[in-house]
Amino acid sequence: MYAYDKYDHAITNARVAEFRDQVERRVKGELTEEEFRPLRLMNGLYLQLHAYMLRVAIPYGTLSADQMRRLAHIARKYDKGYGHFTTRQNIQFNWPKLSETPDILQELADVEMHAIQTSGNCIRNVTTDQFAGATADEVADPRAYAELIRQWSTFHPEFSFLPRKFKIAITGAATDRAAVKWHDIGLIIKKNDAGEIGFEVLVGGGMGRTPVIGKTINEFVHERDLLSYLEAILRVYNEQGRRDNKYKARIKILAEDLGAEEYARQTNEEWARIKDHPLDVPEEEAARIKSFFRAPPLPVLSDDVPAVAELAKKNFLFGAWVKNNTNQHKVPGYVNLTISLKPHGGIPGDATADQMDLVASLADAYSQSEIRVSHEQNLILPHVAKKDLPAIWADLDEAGLGSANVGLLTDIIACPGLDYCALANARSIPLAQEISKRFDDIKRLQDIGPLKIKISGCINSCGHHHAGHIGILGVDRKGEENYQILLGGSGAEDASKAAILGPGFDEHGIVDAVEKVVAVYLGEREESEEFLATYRRLGPAVFKEAVYGAR
Amino acid sequence: MAKKITGPQMIVANLLLDGRVVFMRADGSWSPVAGDAAMAEEDADVEALSALAQKSAAANEVLSVEVIEATTRDGKPFPAHMKFAMQAKGPSVRTDLGYQVSPTWEQ
Ligand code: HEM
Ligand code: SF4
Repeated sequence: MYAYDKYDHAITNARVAEFRDQVERRVKGELTEEEFRPLRLMNGLYLQLHAYMLRVAIPYGTLSADQMRRLAHIARKYDKGYGHFTTRQNIQFNWPKLSETPDILQELADVEMHAIQTSGNCIRNVTTDQFAGATADEVADPRAYAELIRQWSTFHPEFSFLPRKFKIAITGAATDRAAVKWHDIGLIIKKNDAGEIGFEVLVGGGMGRTPVIGKTINEFVHERDLLSYLEAILRVYNEQGRRDNKYKARIKILAEDLGAEEYARQTNEEWARIKDHPLDVPEEEAARIKSFFRAPPLPVLSDDVPAVAELAKKNFLFGAWVKNNTNQHKVPGYVNLTISLKPHGGIPGDATADQMDLVASLADAYSQSEIRVSHEQNLILPHVAKKDLPAIWADLDEAGLGSANVGLLTDIIACPGLDYCALANARSIPLAQEISKRFDDIKRLQDIGPLKIKISGCINSCGHHHAGHIGILGVDRKGEENYQILLGGSGAEDASKAAILGPGFDEHGIVDAVEKVVAVYLGEREESEEFLATYRRLGPAVFKEAVYGAR
Repeated sequence: MAKKITGPQMIVANLLLDGRVVFMRADGSWSPVAGDAAMAEEDADVEALSALAQKSAAANEVLSVEVIEATTRDGKPFPAHMKFAMQAKGPSVRTDLGYQVSPTWEQ
């Protein structure tokens, strides 16, 4: 993992001291809310419906066991005993007091964490593949580049007041687990014919009220040019992005207006000017950063573990858990283990302080003290020996973390919605809970197969509904919660925009509609065809008829 | 600030120090209990309450002041809309938290 150097420590500590002073001045009345609001937002402190909310960055979704324990401690001491892991690989605390926030930030700084740039019109936390550096299917570990981007973008003076927020995602694997095509900038690591590393660069993806899938503006930018190329993209956006209308201010609108070719041309023009300037990373510094992400020394083991196979035969749930929740590690005999935060009837992404502590101790015992957070709101132990799976499962299951549903219909993304969020039109979480209750049989779930449901409580799309195989969007219909159903979206390498199927439903009707859609799929699928493939083959008509026909 | 809405109104805000939700009483003080809120029907009364709330915000006691539609529930004032009803109670998915547990939400 990356370890702070003296500059990192100095700037995070200075930031905490500065915010402490700002909070004191606010409490004394020396700052008005108007003056203070942008300052608190720069430190991740929002006001939600019931209380303040603190959003803490988990850079590229990587946590040490000690950091996780600190999050648990913060949840216990300053909050109400839990936290919410988000689609942006961050964690949100729902009940912090303004007066205690500086103490929380200091506790975070002490374990090399912060809440800087988790809000505001700046470059936000860079997100990546939750299996980065540990999966068998990657070209290179994206975390070193994500860290580089973090260092470049943190307090970048030119890009602290962009027209709108800016999100960068990066994947090192061909299988896109980071939804890179839905980001302002998406980076896909590639090797050229000479075996050198570089990036396919996509620009202009985004969700919200105008969903757009990013377009490639450069097939291969050499790794040594990464920062100057990003700088050029950002500069074009910063100069021409629309500041007059917040709904048209994201880069996706500018990129659509200019077209991908013109965006590429202007980027290249700017890039030519700055390319050979000292911005780009000296090789020693790149090597230093990369050295933090060296693969842990795992002795090669056998992929065949009779004890696991036997237990899987005896215990169906354990077998399902191994099948659904593990991904092949790059070292034989190991897996990336996903801990589902989607228990039966539970709140997607929520974890209690005790659960966080348990995950931390499992990481110490079995995963090189490393933990990851996925954009699908689950936790990952990236380096687990297969032989340890039975012991880990026993501990997780006892703590209510043994759900075997990763990648299946009940592995639902849901934003906080009207239960917490001041911008919401409707609740999201209760729908996820209701759906998970209706589909609670793991055999049935496995039969249905991979199916991603994503729920947002308003058009801001924090729950990625545009990218859901089944997306659900909460709207306000004359003061009542109402839900639209969308089909056919994808956040993966085959990214697509989900389309609205028809009129909305109340909270019970929407769950019925999901059941009807699934029934159509089960009736129409060809052999091992997955839901999304069936939808793409058939189009919306049959689904529409099943859902609305009887009306 | 407030849209012109007809029907009874009440005022909700968040306390500066801990963000918790409060409703304005007739005397301009704040209560965590929606049922304590002053309801105003006439424009002049709404404006008078609103002015008190703005004063409190200017004195850095509260933020996010909103004039909202009120209804009555069990004979007492209560927010008419979902969003503010949620504020008056707490998260519907965590009935162990917020005002639905106690007016101090400390439990
Ligand atoms: C304080 C609560 C939140 C507020 C005020 C908020 C606000 C917003 C807004 C205004 C947008 C639309 C941006 C645009 O279209 O320009 C947005 C998008 C988004 N937010 Fe949130 N959000 C909140 C919570 C969350 C949470 C909990 C998550 C993760 C679960 C999240 C992740 C995202 C994502 C992934 C997008 C869409 C991607 C994009 O930026 O296009 N947000 N949010
Ligand atoms: S999608 Fe809307 S309701 Fe959900 S968290 Fe984002 S802003 Fe809030």
